[in-house]
Amino acid sequence: MKIRREHITILLSGVLIYVVNIAFKSVLKKQEEISVIVSAHKKIVEAGNPIVLDFKVNKEIATELLLHTSYGSTTIQPDIAGETRFTIPRFIANKKGTVSYTLFYEKGNLYQGELQIRSNTKTKVCLESYIGPPSIIAGGIDYAMQVVVPTDSYDNPLPDSTNVTIGHQFLDIEKKKELRSKDMIAWQNIFSYNSSGRILLFSKVKETISKEFSIDVFPSLPENFQIQSKRKHSYADGNQITQFITSIIKDKHGNIISDGSLVKFVIKNTKGLLLHTQANTVNGQAIAKMLHPDHEDAWQVKAYIHGMAESNSIRIEYSKVLEDFDTQFKKGNRYVTVGPLVSFMGQLIPDGAMVILKIFKENKKIDTKVETSSNGIARFFLQEGFYASGKYDVTIKALGVEKQYNNIELE
Amino acid sequence: MDKTTNKYLISALLIGIMFHGTAIFFTLESTYDALIHLFFGNHYANSWFEPWSYSWYTGFTVMGYPPLVHQSIGLFSYIGGLKFGLFTVALIAILLFITGIYRFALVLTSNQKVAGYTAIFAVFSSAFIETLHVFGQLPSIIGLSVLLHALPEIYLWLKIGKYKYLLNSLSLIAVTVTSHHVTPIFGMIFFIFPLIGMVLMDVSRETAGSYKEVSILVFFKSFLSLFKRIVAFGFGSLLLIILCILPYWINTKNNPITQVPIPHGSRDNFFEVTSSGLVFFLIPWGILLFLFPYIWFRFYSKRYLFFGLSFTLLTILGTGGTTPIPKMMLGENAFNILTLDRFTLWGSIMALPIFGEFGYRFIEGDLKQKIQKKYGGVYHRILGGLLTGGIVFTTFFTMSLGYFRPSQPQKIKMLPILNFLTQDQHDKWRYLPLGFGDQMAWLSAQTNAMTVDGNYHSARRLPELTTRAVERLENSKFRGIEGIGSLQQFLTVPEKYNLKYVFSNDKFYDPILYFCGWQRLRQLENGIMVWEKLNVPPLSSILPKDKIPTFQKLMWGLIPIATVLIAFIINIQLIWVHALKSKQKTFPVYFKYGVSYHRFKNIVFKASYLWAILMLIFTGYGFYWIYVKNVKQLSPINATESYYDALDFKEFERAYSYIDPKSDKTKAQYMLEISVTDGLLSSYAKLNEIDINITAKTDSTAKVKVNTHWITPLEKIDKTFYHELVKYGKKWYIKPLGYDLDIPPDQLFSENITSFYNHGRRRISSEQTHHEDVLKQPVLEVLSAKIVGYHDQYSIIGELQNVDNVPADVVITGALYNNENQRLAKFNAKNQMKHKLLPKEITSFRINFEGIAWVNKEEQKPKTFNPDEFTSLEFNQTPVTFNLQCAGNVATVDLFKGVTINDLSVVENTMIEGVLFNSGLEEVTIPMLLISYYTKDQKLVWVDHRYLREGIRPQRKQYFKYPLLDILDVHSINDTMDNVFVNGLANEEISNKVVPDRNTEHQSSQFIPIEGKGFSYIKIEISTYIGAPN
Repeated sequence: MKIRREHITILLSGVLIYVVNIAFKSVLKKQEEISVIVSAHKKIVEAGNPIVLDFKVNKEIATELLLHTSYGSTTIQPDIAGETRFTIPRFIANKKGTVSYTLFYEKGNLYQGELQIRSNTKTKVCLESYIGPPSIIAGGIDYAMQVVVPTDSYDNPLPDSTNVTIGHQFLDIEKKKELRSKDMIAWQNIFSYNSSGRILLFSKVKETISKEFSIDVFPSLPENFQIQSKRKHSYADGNQITQFITSIIKDKHGNIISDGSLVKFVIKNTKGLLLHTQANTVNGQAIAKMLHPDHEDAWQVKAYIHGMAESNSIRIEYSKVLEDFDTQFKKGNRYVTVGPLVSFMGQLIPDGAMVILKIFKENKKIDTKVETSSNGIARFFLQEGFYASGKYDVTIKALGVEKQYNNIELE
Repeated sequence: MDKTTNKYLISALLIGIMFHGTAIFFTLESTYDALIHLFFGNHYANSWFEPWSYSWYTGFTVMGYPPLVHQSIGLFSYIGGLKFGLFTVALIAILLFITGIYRFALVLTSNQKVAGYTAIFAVFSSAFIETLHVFGQLPSIIGLSVLLHALPEIYLWLKIGKYKYLLNSLSLIAVTVTSHHVTPIFGMIFFIFPLIGMVLMDVSRETAGSYKEVSILVFFKSFLSLFKRIVAFGFGSLLLIILCILPYWINTKNNPITQVPIPHGSRDNFFEVTSSGLVFFLIPWGILLFLFPYIWFRFYSKRYLFFGLSFTLLTILGTGGTTPIPKMMLGENAFNILTLDRFTLWGSIMALPIFGEFGYRFIEGDLKQKIQKKYGGVYHRILGGLLTGGIVFTTFFTMSLGYFRPSQPQKIKMLPILNFLTQDQHDKWRYLPLGFGDQMAWLSAQTNAMTVDGNYHSARRLPELTTRAVERLENSKFRGIEGIGSLQQFLTVPEKYNLKYVFSNDKFYDPILYFCGWQRLRQLENGIMVWEKLNVPPLSSILPKDKIPTFQKLMWGLIPIATVLIAFIINIQLIWVHALKSKQKTFPVYFKYGVSYHRFKNIVFKASYLWAILMLIFTGYGFYWIYVKNVKQLSPINATESYYDALDFKEFERAYSYIDPKSDKTKAQYMLEISVTDGLLSSYAKLNEIDINITAKTDSTAKVKVNTHWITPLEKIDKTFYHELVKYGKKWYIKPLGYDLDIPPDQLFSENITSFYNHGRRRISSEQTHHEDVLKQPVLEVLSAKIVGYHDQYSIIGELQNVDNVPADVVITGALYNNENQRLAKFNAKNQMKHKLLPKEITSFRINFEGIAWVNKEEQKPKTFNPDEFTSLEFNQTPVTFNLQCAGNVATVDLFKGVTINDLSVVENTMIEGVLFNSGLEEVTIPMLLISYYTKDQKLVWVDHRYLREGIRPQRKQYFKYPLLDILDVHSINDTMDNVFVNGLANEEISNKVVPDRNTEHQSSQFIPIEGKGFSYIKIEISTYIGAPN
């Protein structure tokens, strides 16, 4: 087939139409470019006020607004679909800080901006107060810190240099002080006074006053103290109780030390061994108890609050209640009766006096038996199961008197 | 054969459902297992598709147990609550079992009457009663019953080869698999293989003409002819076993059971442990024992030959550790994992049809005629009466087992505990019940709070538990060292598990709780004591769990119920359709092979006779033996044993009845003396072993030496007593011992004490505790601390003072590091310290580094019991530095300090003897001495402790002895205190600030000079446990 002119014409016109079409398209695209103007609004807003961002877009497009705040980021939809009016949600509009926003449509961002939300000084002032630690030591070295954060009713800290009044009461002292907040807070260290007790604190900003706070001031370390003893008689009967009583223990500022402080009484007996008893203080005084020894003894008593304070040393003596006692061996010498044990006036020793029987075989101790007296008598039974028949040496000790019986034949 | 309703089956069902159905309300909840299944049921009810449960251990997957029964309980619980679900499932199990055994008997005996008798006997089968009413093993019963239902279908498939039967049988196998995993696997071996054998026999008979002519060749030929069907069924069921509970197998592979074997009574030697013999042999066999010759004879007839072999195997395996055979057959591993009682159960179930057959022949068959002809009708009736009496007796005995020998503590009212857990956010921590028995599962099912313990030990993950043969921490006292040892680890380092609350239903555990630093909170109105530990952080809000693929979750959630639905539709529905069609239906093919019951073999008759008489003699001897054991005062040993038994169980009135009636000790006096004794030995000890020797004996008097071994929560106590006994008439009596005669000086006395109260929060609010209500942590100061080594063991020892103005509860955590600063070990101070300190009080402490016992499998476990035993951590490297973290919290209780050291003497520098005196108002139950050893230059070298066995009443004395240690080998490794912290602050800062001018001489003022081995001074401190604070 020959190429005819008509054919070329058709072809060319086709190309022409195509080119025109492309040209049109690109021109149209350029015309579609969107311009955005934010309708007039304040750059700085007070918290709690509604914030509406109204963008003027020259074309109707679907948009979203990305909000970025210190609490996080979120996107919001226009108030009415298809429009470009956005209301910032309350939870963002209520919080102090910078809000940056970006207007998006499907192909990219259209506009970026920023607004500042300030704390709202027109609302009622709220207070956040912290006090700690809740207990300190008397003497002016230890302290607690009082921190006040004045806020608006949306919990936004008020601007720096807000006037804060703080005050406290201790005994008959009442103090007030004006502070200016800095970096959101106003604070002060409250040092303890020399007395123990309770400091009550408060703070105030404008019309708003805080609730009452308290700091307990505990007494400082105890100082040395005195002790004395108190007893019913001075005999070593192993039955009565001796009390050791401290003076009222105070710290160096004259405060009675805390109830429950442990005082340890160390007692050195004539053998040089240490016994001990302890008590905790009630109103500064500790009363410890010891059973009288059951043998003649002299006690050197000293009390300690470990590492901090000590008492004077006192000496108390216990005199012996009996000089001697009888011992009877019966029933093949297996039943040993000790007593009667008589006390200082000649009365029977109270039940429960400890009698110790030591049994030796060929100078080697086999066993120690301990019995308590009843009606002045202590009875031992040397069972066959334990002690085979034969000769034994026996020593018996009661109320500090020791007696030896050699070559006792057990049947 | 008539085709009317089988009246025996109907009666069996009616009796069964009424008897068992009503009884379960009184038995099921106090069985071993039922509440565990209830707990699982609750899990499915709340989260059907989520296999992870946080409630037990530190979280575990429920894919460790086939879910069908649990899911059914869960489903029914939607209608009427969890317990409704449990009882409904139990009722279904009863129905399934009776019908199942009926169908099994029908296949086996081909006789409806015999099957009817079997069904009736099955109702009263002691094995079934025990499994249901004592063990509460619902899944096992359901699995077995469904398996029994499957057997006729399998028979028909193999015999006829219609696919309908294959479908039926496989659908039932699927249900079995999803309800219990062990049943189908072993059921294959013990029930289905013999059944296949029986089918082959029947087929062979058809070819050969009679059973007698069946030769091995014929049998083999039949086997070949049926081979395809057998393989089809075999593969089908294998596939089902794998597929239906695929997640179970995957879980088993991923989390292999690391649990060390837990002792089980069914593995005991039944002659040695007679109680196990009773529960796992005599009771399940019950009346069948009398019929053994008949059962064996019948099972070894040619048709049942394979059942005979299977039955023999089951019987032998069921004997547990009595003979070495089961262990050899199963292998060490399987023997220690499986509970062997299931073999006895299966054996006795397998024997039931034969028992039914015997019953039929005895009641209306040839045996009746034979006996009547030989001995007369009356004799037959007497025999019948005896047999019935036997059944009645075993039934009563088994049913009452749980009543007279309760395996569980009294039923606990859970409501107060549940309320406690939900109040004040207590469920933000884990809790631990003690002494609850299996009721702990019921508690867990009702609360969201989590516990470190649990009741399904295969699912455990914590090595602290898997390495111990402990069933539960909750009943650890029954498992000796392993139990208490495990428990102690949890109680000493509760922070690790966020464990803050312990509910104690057993006062036995109280001392260990106290000495591990726990404190009593309050007693709930159901009598449960709540213990609390301070300084334990709450659980994180997000807890770790194993992720399981969704397909597994779906399989697990859907397949089991689907298998039931499918089985229901294709089995039950078909039966209904057939029944309603009322078209005459032919009998199943197995009806052809019934034997006619005539000519009861003489030899069997005689053997049975002899056997029964033998059994009667055995039984008689058994009763006599029980009588001798129970008669209290037949011999001096008997009397002494009974006396200590009575003391052990605190039956003091009974104890008094063994006291010489002619002694001057009145009952009032005796009871009074008992009532005033308190202490570790008299209040918290359990008699473990007693060994009585007669040292001298005449006709009417005797002297005995009693070596007693007691278990207490704190340590093992051995004590020897000597008693004199006298005989009046035929009874022996014990002469009373003396008692403490001490008389305190004061009748009435007073003391001013400081007591404390902490409000916690002052405002009633569900918010977090208010800032101003949080008390400051008491300031502590560590005075000295160091690492010491003893052989290849290391400890941190030191002294600490409460320098604050309020009492403190102290927790000390120590960690050891090597020279590359890698942590080697971390642990808390356990009992070697005073946990509660008054202001300015001092305590010495020692931290032992405990390892997890027997992680190394080769390690020989101690055979004997010792609660105080301590598994020391193995150190590969020498610790070089240490870190000490001390935390104080305000304490308000357990601050009694009234015990004094009233007298002291040192014996040859090796022993201290002394007298303690209680000067306060509280009765001290367990005094503990804390002894610190110091070197010549007054440096601490070692800290030791000693519990005293007797308590001290107010104004009374207590004599004590303490043998001093040889500590020449103890060497100090590092005593630099750079890394010592108190409440997170550096100790040095505290030291400089709080007590800047410390008087260091006070320290040595309390030292008792003793020239001992490796030390020059000691210091004694006293800690006191008060059992019942005023």
